[in-house]
Amino acid sequence: MKEQMTATSESPAVVLGSEDSFRLLVESVKDYAIVMLDTGGHVVSWNAGAERFKGYHAEEIIGKHFSCFYPADSVQRGLPEQELKAAARDGRFEDEGWRVRKDGKQFWANVIISALRDKDGTLRGFSKVTRDLTERKQAEERIKQQSREIMELSTPVMQVWQGVVVAPLIGSLDSNRTQQFMERLLGRIVETNSPVALVDIMGVPTIDTQTAQHLIETISAVRLLGAQVVLTGVRPAIAQTLVHLGIDLSGIMTRSSLSAGLQVALDILNLSVVCKNGSH
Amino acid sequence: MTLESISVIKLHDLLLVTVPADPDDETVSALQDRVLEAMAQFEAKGLVLDISTVQTLDSFFARTVAETVQMVALMGGRTVLAGMRASVAVTAAQLGLTVGNALTALDVDRALDLLNAAPSGVRRV
Repeated sequence: MKEQMTATSESPAVVLGSEDSFRLLVESVKDYAIVMLDTGGHVVSWNAGAERFKGYHAEEIIGKHFSCFYPADSVQRGLPEQELKAAARDGRFEDEGWRVRKDGKQFWANVIISALRDKDGTLRGFSKVTRDLTERKQAEERIKQQSREIMELSTPVMQVWQGVVVAPLIGSLDSNRTQQFMERLLGRIVETNSPVALVDIMGVPTIDTQTAQHLIETISAVRLLGAQVVLTGVRPAIAQTLVHLGIDLSGIMTRSSLSAGLQVALDILNLSVVCKNGSH
Repeated sequence: MTLESISVIKLHDLLLVTVPADPDDETVSALQDRVLEAMAQFEAKGLVLDISTVQTLDSFFARTVAETVQMVALMGGRTVLAGMRASVAVTAAQLGLTVGNALTALDVDRALDLLNAAPSGVRRV
């Protein structure tokens, strides 16, 4: 006990000059909830930011256990205790997750719990600094949703002729996108009963072995369906890359331009384009 | 699912078989037997396997189809797989399942056209 008293007199507040001014500083911070907990996790101090985020007044919350800031399922999993343990063990614990306000509403919080130890290393309590990141979380969700939408938009499959669909690929192909592209392309082939699909890779910036593998996968799926793929838009740079990487596309019909591909498609369908005056 | 539920339809010199929606291994094997019997009986020059109702393609089914294609070829016929569902094709391609030398067509109409056309129209998977 005597040791603790000594330690208190050497706390940072004293170093700053005046304990009162230090308390004022912490208490008036509005953008961070700065809370002190005792070793058992009960609230010892409360500031303006904490009041703003969590809705409790200092007199209602001091002495209560800090698990009341957590959603019920987190408390059941013993998260508050685990966090204190981790902070005591490692000196510091950081987490992001949902926390609960007094009114029951949840907010997305970044929480840093630090162990407070005196000179002798005895655990005195914890400081808990919380930021409200709900807006950032919402922005992240929006970006995720938008990238999903972009993915949807970026793989159109159009019917350009009775029996011919065109799928212009734009951007790089990862396995996620391949899956979606494949489903869409095959779906449209069945829907439009098209025996020929032109897959245009003019808009694909670079091809690596993985992208090529994805393309080959797509093409074999189309063949299982009973249709054929003509790979068009093979630019010189892409052709060079494919050969240098040793990717064998010899079993696949390829053309440099979409129009050449369309010609192949018409040949497959036994069609030809005729001028109105009768010549080809 | 037994042998009786599989019908092999003879259309001129072609055979048409509708594969049941959820074929188990036994059915698939029975199907092969029936097809080969019919090939011998009718001296058919082609076989159309209508798989438009098949929801899942497993490795046994794929292998049996590939074998059947070879067997039918040995008996002088060509095989067309008709009407594979898009979802089935996606899964099959991802699992790397192949159906050997079977020809494929979008539907039975196109399969019949393909078999009736000159052999130059041969497409391989």
